[in-house]
Amino acid sequence: MELVCVGLNHRTAPVEVRERFAVPAGKLGDSAKRLLEIEGLEESVVLSTCNRTEFYLAGEQAEQAAAELRRRLAATHGADSDPHWYEHHRISAAKHLCRVVSGLDSMVLGETEIFGQAKEAYRQALDAGATSGVLNRLFQRAFGVGKKVRTDTRIQEGATSVAGAAVELAEKIFGKLAGCRVIVIGAGEMSRQTAQALVSRGATSVFVTNRSFDKAEQLAAEMGGRAVHFDEWQAVLAGVDVVISSTSAPHPVVLPHHIESVRRVRKFRPLFLIDIAVPRDIDPACGDIEEVYLYDIDTLEQLADEARTRREKQIIECDRIIDEELKKLNLPGT
Amino acid sequence: MDRWFLIAATALAAVGGVAGMWSVSKGIRSRWTVIWMIAAFMAQMGFLSVRGEARGACPLVGLGEILAFLAWSLTFFYLAVGPAYRISLLGVFTAPVVVIFQAVALLPGQLIADPPRVPGTDAWHETHAAMSVLSYGALALAAVAGVMFLVLDRQLKDHHLKSGLFRNLPPVRELLKSTVRLLWLGVALLSIGVFAGFMMPRQGGTAHLIAACAVWLSYVGFLAIKQTRGLTGRRTATVAVLLFVVSLSVFALV
Repeated sequence: MELVCVGLNHRTAPVEVRERFAVPAGKLGDSAKRLLEIEGLEESVVLSTCNRTEFYLAGEQAEQAAAELRRRLAATHGADSDPHWYEHHRISAAKHLCRVVSGLDSMVLGETEIFGQAKEAYRQALDAGATSGVLNRLFQRAFGVGKKVRTDTRIQEGATSVAGAAVELAEKIFGKLAGCRVIVIGAGEMSRQTAQALVSRGATSVFVTNRSFDKAEQLAAEMGGRAVHFDEWQAVLAGVDVVISSTSAPHPVVLPHHIESVRRVRKFRPLFLIDIAVPRDIDPACGDIEEVYLYDIDTLEQLADEARTRREKQIIECDRIIDEELKKLNLPGT
Repeated sequence: MDRWFLIAATALAAVGGVAGMWSVSKGIRSRWTVIWMIAAFMAQMGFLSVRGEARGACPLVGLGEILAFLAWSLTFFYLAVGPAYRISLLGVFTAPVVVIFQAVALLPGQLIADPPRVPGTDAWHETHAAMSVLSYGALALAAVAGVMFLVLDRQLKDHHLKSGLFRNLPPVRELLKSTVRLLWLGVALLSIGVFAGFMMPRQGGTAHLIAACAVWLSYVGFLAIKQTRGLTGRRTATVAVLLFVVSLSVFALV
C-alpha cells in the first residue's frame, strides 16, 4: 500500500495558477470518487481552499497513479502548471496532512479555518465512498493531532493582523462584543477590515462617516450599519464604545475636546479609540483621558508582529507532537 | 485547636495564592487556586465553629476574631462570586488579603486561648456584628476587584500587553460590573448591620455607631454618584479600595 499527497499551495503557485485547479466546495466528494478511475488507486480525498488544492491518494500503486493524475491535470489545465506541484510520499504525506490540519502550512500560521475545511473535504470523500481503511485512519488521526497541537501549544495565540489585534483589545476592554457600538471615521480598506472583524465578533451598531457620503453609505450598507454625514459624527460619539479612524486628513480629526464634551453623557464609560491612519487621525492627548484607551497603527502592527513571532517559535514544538503522534499510528503506506 | 484551624486556613490560602501567582507568571490560568481556597474556607469554618461553641455566640469579640470572621466572609464571597461570574485571577488577588487578615489575627495577644462565654447574648447585637463583618467581606472583595481593574487599566494605558497577568485578567467592563455589584451587596448588608446597631442595647459610648454611620454614608454617597452622574472606572476602583482601607482603619481605632 502506498500513500501520496499531490498538491499546490500559496507558496508554490500564484493565485492565477491556484484558481485554475480550485474544486468547488460542494464537489470535493465527486472529485475524489472520480479519481478512483485511475488504475492502482483505491482511496482518495480532495482538499481545495483558496490557498491550496491537494489530492491525498492511497492504493497499491498510488505513486504511479499520482504521476497519471499529474499527466491528466497537465492535459486538461495546461502543462505550464507542472513546476508548481509538489508531492509527498508515505510518512512525509501523513506528516504534511497533520501540518496542514494544524495550520502550520497556512498563510496565517496557526489559523483554524483549515481544520474545518479539511474535515469537510474528508466528510465528502467518505460520503462518496472514496475512502477506506488507510485514509480513514490517517484523516481521523490527523484531526486528533490537529486538536492536540492547538491545545498543547500556543500556535493560535494572539492576533496576527491589525484587525485581529484590535478585536482582541476590544474584547479585553468590553468582554463579549455583543451590543458594542462602533463608529468608523473614514471608509478606507483598513477601517472596513477592522469594523468587519468587530462585527463578526458581535458588535451590533456600526456608524460610518466619510467626507464623501456615498462611500460612507456604501460601507454602512456592507456592514448593515448607518451612514452619518461627516459634520455630524460628533453627535454619535456619545453612544459608541469603539471609534475606528482612518481618514487621509493631514491633521488630527478626533480631538480631546470632542471626547471631553460627551464624557458626562457617556457616564464616563470606557471608550476604545483605534487610530489606523497615517498621519494619525486621533490626537495622542485623547489617550490621557481616564476612560479612553488609545491605540495607533504602530502599536497594533507591533502586537500582530509579536504574535506572529510567538507562533513561529511554536513550530518546532508542533512538529515534535506531530512526529510523536504519527509514530503511534503505524499506518500501512507510511 | 481553634488556633490550628486558623493556621491551616492561612497556610492553605497562602499556597493557593502562591500557586496562582506561579501559574500567572508562566502565562497560564490557575485552575487550582479555587481548590486551595475551598480548603482554606473549610478550615476557617472549623475555626469559627470551635470558637463559636466556646463563646456561645457569634465569635466576634476582639480584633483577632473579627479579622478571622472577615477573612471567612471575604473567602465566602470570593467562592460565591468568582466562579459564578468566571472572574479569573480573583482568587490570586483575594488569597493574599485573606492571608494578611488571618496572619494579623494570629499575632500574639489577638486571640485568647480559652475564650469565655458571652454573657446574655442579644439578637440585635448579634445581627449587628455578623452583618457588619459580612458586609465588610463583600466590600473587601469589591476592593480586590478594584485593584485588579487598576492593574489592567495601567497595562492597557501603557500598552504593556505581554505579561501572563494581562492575558489572564478579566475584561475591564466585567471587573467594573463586579466591583459595583459587590459594593451594592456590601452596602445592603451594612444597612442591616447599622439598623441592628440602632436597635441593640447601648453599652457605653456611641463612637462605634457614629463610625458605622459615617462608613455607611460614604458608601451610599459614592454609589449614588456612580449611579446618577457616573464615574470613570479608575475613580470607581480607587474609591472602592480607599474607602475599604479607611473604614477598616477607622474600626480598628474605635
